[in-house]
Amino acid sequence: MLQVENLHAGYGASEVLLGTTLQVEQGKVVALIGANGAGKTTTMRAISGMIRPTRGRVLLNGKPVQGMGAAGIARLGLAHAPEGRKVFGPLSVEDNLMLGGYNHLPMFFGFRSKAAPGLERVYELFPRLRERSRQAAGTLSGGEQQMLAIGRALMANPKVILLDEPSMGLAPVIVQEVFSTIRRLKEAGITLLLVEQFAKSALEVADYAYVMEHGRIAVEGTPAELHQNEKVLAAYLG
Amino acid sequence: MLPESRMNTFIIAQMAVSGALMGLVYALIAYGFQLTFATSKSINFGQGELVMLSAFFSLTLLDLGMPYWLMVPGGLLFGAAMGLVVERACVRLSLEQKNEGWILLTIIFGLLGFSAAENIWGRDDRPFPSPISADAMHFFGISITPLEISVAIGVFAVMGAIELFKRKTLLGKAFEAVAADRDAAQLMGVSATHTIMLSYGLSGMVAAMAGILISPITTVGPTMASALILKAFSVAVVAGLDSGFGVVVIGIVLGALESLTSFYIGSGWREAPGLILLILALAVRPNGVFGKASIRKV
Amino acid sequence: MLKRLLLLRGAELIALALLATIPLTVNNSYALGLLTLLAIYGILLIGLDVTVGYLGQVNLAQAAFLGLGAYAAGLSVTMFGFGMLEALAMSMLIGLVLGGLLAFPALRLEGPQFALATLSFSALSTTVLNEWEQLTGGAQGLSLSRPALFGHPVNAPGFYWLCLILLALVWMALRNMLSSQWGRAFEALRDSPIATDAMGVGTYRHKVAGFALGSSLGGLAGGLYAFNFEYLQPQSFTYDLMVILLLGVVLGGRKSLWGAFFGASLIVLLPNLLSNRLMFVVISALGLLVAVIAGARGWMKKTTQPFQAIAPVIAMGMLVVGGFLVENTENWRKGIFALMLFSVVVGLPDGIMGFAARYLTRLFRIDPPALPPAAALDEVLPVRRSDGRPLLELKNLKRYFGGVKAVDDICMTVRSGQVHGLIGPNGSGKSTAVNVISGLYAPTSGAVLLQGKALPTGSLFKVARAGVARTFQNLQLFGELSALDNVMLALQGAYRKPLPLVLLGLARAEEQRAQAGALALLELVGLKGQARVRAKDLTYGSQRFLEIARALARKPELLILDEPAAGLAHPDVNVLVDIIKSIHRRGITIILIEHHMDVVSELCDTVTVVDGGQVIAAGTPDEVKRDPKVIKAYLGVANGTEAPATAPLPV
Repeated sequence: MLQVENLHAGYGASEVLLGTTLQVEQGKVVALIGANGAGKTTTMRAISGMIRPTRGRVLLNGKPVQGMGAAGIARLGLAHAPEGRKVFGPLSVEDNLMLGGYNHLPMFFGFRSKAAPGLERVYELFPRLRERSRQAAGTLSGGEQQMLAIGRALMANPKVILLDEPSMGLAPVIVQEVFSTIRRLKEAGITLLLVEQFAKSALEVADYAYVMEHGRIAVEGTPAELHQNEKVLAAYLG
Repeated sequence: MLPESRMNTFIIAQMAVSGALMGLVYALIAYGFQLTFATSKSINFGQGELVMLSAFFSLTLLDLGMPYWLMVPGGLLFGAAMGLVVERACVRLSLEQKNEGWILLTIIFGLLGFSAAENIWGRDDRPFPSPISADAMHFFGISITPLEISVAIGVFAVMGAIELFKRKTLLGKAFEAVAADRDAAQLMGVSATHTIMLSYGLSGMVAAMAGILISPITTVGPTMASALILKAFSVAVVAGLDSGFGVVVIGIVLGALESLTSFYIGSGWREAPGLILLILALAVRPNGVFGKASIRKV
Repeated sequence: MLKRLLLLRGAELIALALLATIPLTVNNSYALGLLTLLAIYGILLIGLDVTVGYLGQVNLAQAAFLGLGAYAAGLSVTMFGFGMLEALAMSMLIGLVLGGLLAFPALRLEGPQFALATLSFSALSTTVLNEWEQLTGGAQGLSLSRPALFGHPVNAPGFYWLCLILLALVWMALRNMLSSQWGRAFEALRDSPIATDAMGVGTYRHKVAGFALGSSLGGLAGGLYAFNFEYLQPQSFTYDLMVILLLGVVLGGRKSLWGAFFGASLIVLLPNLLSNRLMFVVISALGLLVAVIAGARGWMKKTTQPFQAIAPVIAMGMLVVGGFLVENTENWRKGIFALMLFSVVVGLPDGIMGFAARYLTRLFRIDPPALPPAAALDEVLPVRRSDGRPLLELKNLKRYFGGVKAVDDICMTVRSGQVHGLIGPNGSGKSTAVNVISGLYAPTSGAVLLQGKALPTGSLFKVARAGVARTFQNLQLFGELSALDNVMLALQGAYRKPLPLVLLGLARAEEQRAQAGALALLELVGLKGQARVRAKDLTYGSQRFLEIARALARKPELLILDEPAAGLAHPDVNVLVDIIKSIHRRGITIILIEHHMDVVSELCDTVTVVDGGQVIAAGTPDEVKRDPKVIKAYLGVANGTEAPATAPLPV
């Protein structure tokens, strides 16, 4: 579904990604873990087109998409729920969700949100969003904004979702909610690439995992294999 | 005979109302500025010339025998097209390079537009015929013409239509999304470039509408641009470039003030209140009276 | 050294000599008039370049200052009988005062609003000049005669030499200013206004001063203008003139005295250019040729966007075609200026001088002047005696962004002389807390106290002046300045000479001392050998170290390091640790935000742990590492919630 080959990318003077290779098979949840500053978020951004890779390839369903702008890649079925949520503060919760479906809802009059496919599913998954559907997104708490960001990604009916640090800045109780949501998505068969600083939770929910260090993949394997790997154990799992 | 003070009140009211109606046109142009500023943090400094060119174009359509009600959409389309030209030629490069070269480049557009208008249509002011009557009607001692009322209707109609578009259509919401967070909007598949093009097209259309509304009252001429645009700028900046309907309030106030100044102090000083207000408002509230301050990110 | 003097100053002296001797050899009053105008416009454009070039903002009021200065000079002669110098002083003063008054509100604004404010000022001036007929004569104009200089009447050559002398003085003064801290400050505030304020160099005040200087030069030019033509009308000083001035500055080259000079030459010659159709066609054809060549080169080398390559060609092409087709080029004046300005802004944004400078620097390799030896570190960064008393206190600090509670009731005490670690998962509120302390954000509620007194809030500049220095998680260097200049800019207390003395060139000694001091700091972080390298050309690790050196230049009471090791390779992390240790040894209090636990353990005396905007633990690194709450949230394992990954321990 998603293949990343030898990806290089960076910001100005600093090259952060020094040749990352990974892949996400359809219907699987793949985790990308590693220390802060290892390059996980940069990887996500290079895949979704927020930044332009300097070398390497990104293949979505076999089609090379590296170098295409973010909007183009999104239209091909890749949804990225970015680090820090980035919800549209002044717009309502419902508007945010509708925008998630931008690629297949009619642009002009003729859509009524009730009729929007996928909206009901999102509200069932996140009842709190239904409660707050008319509220401005900027007034939501951090946890609610994260739900909204995930819901927004789902509205795109995507082939693969990139979920970047969903637990960031959230209280432990909320983090548990987030991960149970991810489990439900997994049960529904969604293809997911998950970046997380909480390695253990990520590994509990993933089918396969990559460990990133200094811009490269250092170790990869199934969660069981990684649990056996002593280095990984010591460094990341305590 | 009415007592002196009562007469003065009527005069003041009359001046204020006539002025306020003109002020609505400034507000409309300022509203156009907000559209482009929201999505791209840029505005067209040559917008006055765009108003003037659209007015001249519409006049030509009328001269060629087109009926008024057909001319209006024609003029609006011209304005939209001009807006797109401005975006492509003057704004896009600067946005890509993340500098403010568009300020100079849109000023240049205005200059070129002025020169072209002078030579194509001549330097004199020309009357702009309109089927709406200019016979005064009287309400509570104040005389207003249907023409002036049509200005108010036109302004609110256009603003209302665009607000409806922004709130009720997905494309309109995409507009707001790009204004709120450009990167996140692109992740949804919204093309920021196309949205900015749209904003400039709409802004041009709004400018053309302003031209069509105001020309029957003020006549059309190359110099109508500079007269209008400073006031529209004042309204936009004083109200705040993201203040939504705040421009209407400020526009009305400014228009009324101008009218009164012209009457009591002298027509040459007409411009003064707007300009002074602008500089004062900037001193006190740089983001505009109704504007919102932004959070800096480090 | 001699070579430098010869080449740079030599060119200036030759030009000056040439210009000065022309009236002696040539006896053409028309040419003399043109040259006088050249000098006047030279002063005017130098003034305009201060805002447009050095401050990087579109200033639409300079033509108005020309007019205001002109009328001020004219009226002081007709109404008060002032002599030449007094009248010119008056015109300069009017420019300065009115410019200052405009600058205060206008410069709080960003680019477009600023341009609008200047445009409004210009329109307002025209209105006043037109309407205040009793004073100015209104549209009828004002006639005056050139006053005497020290009692002697001034003839045409004499006036020319006066203008030339003034131009030379302005030139030197500005050169002095630009090679001082002022020039650095202008460049810095363009690169990063946030860092400029955070280094205690007020962005706002420098912009206001720069603008006022530019407008005073505009006023001076106005006075000369009045005495040149001996007749003034408001119509001469409108927007039309302003566009021509912009054309001059942009085509000549921004940020360049020579550029302003060339621009002035262009303006003076422009009317002649337009009136002769043949000349016009020839010149626009030349321009088209240049545009085609430059565009083709740019396209093939991929140094310019396609639009940048094509658009000037189209514009110049329109000029050439138009030159043939239209009946009268005069009528299309504005359109012609517009197309020329368009081609230059898009295709040649650095102007002629910018273009030429690149070739000239390749032809004549001039070594920069030698640097003085580095000062002793103790002079620049005196050792502090620290007593462990509370230096910084956060009391119930809160900072909300809408519904997101980034900092939610944080209490923390930083003791003098300690390295105080601030750690927590991503998004825990560490950076926000530090941003509140340093003044980027005002707190939603709560207090920040420095040595018991409330720290100013919401102003990077004021907090910097109070003795707090910082580095940034995302580098905020002054990219275009050299490493040395980056540090020099921030040097606390180094620049005491007021502006007038700087203009006179009397601040060189303190500039040298500042260089020595900055070099000492660069040495501390290991960058002395790269002092002259432009900050944006340094390696990432060096850039991080440079930011620390720059912050140290503030001689801070409190130094805040925001993730200084982010993105650093392992060897550089070790260098960083050594640098921080040497700073610590000098008794400077440090707040260190870091993710690398080993760095924190090695360096910090005490650590505060935040999560979800709240403090969850505080104590020594060892205590904190063993605290179950911290382990649960950040470091280690517990069932239920998991630990975020930290930097791998050295294996």
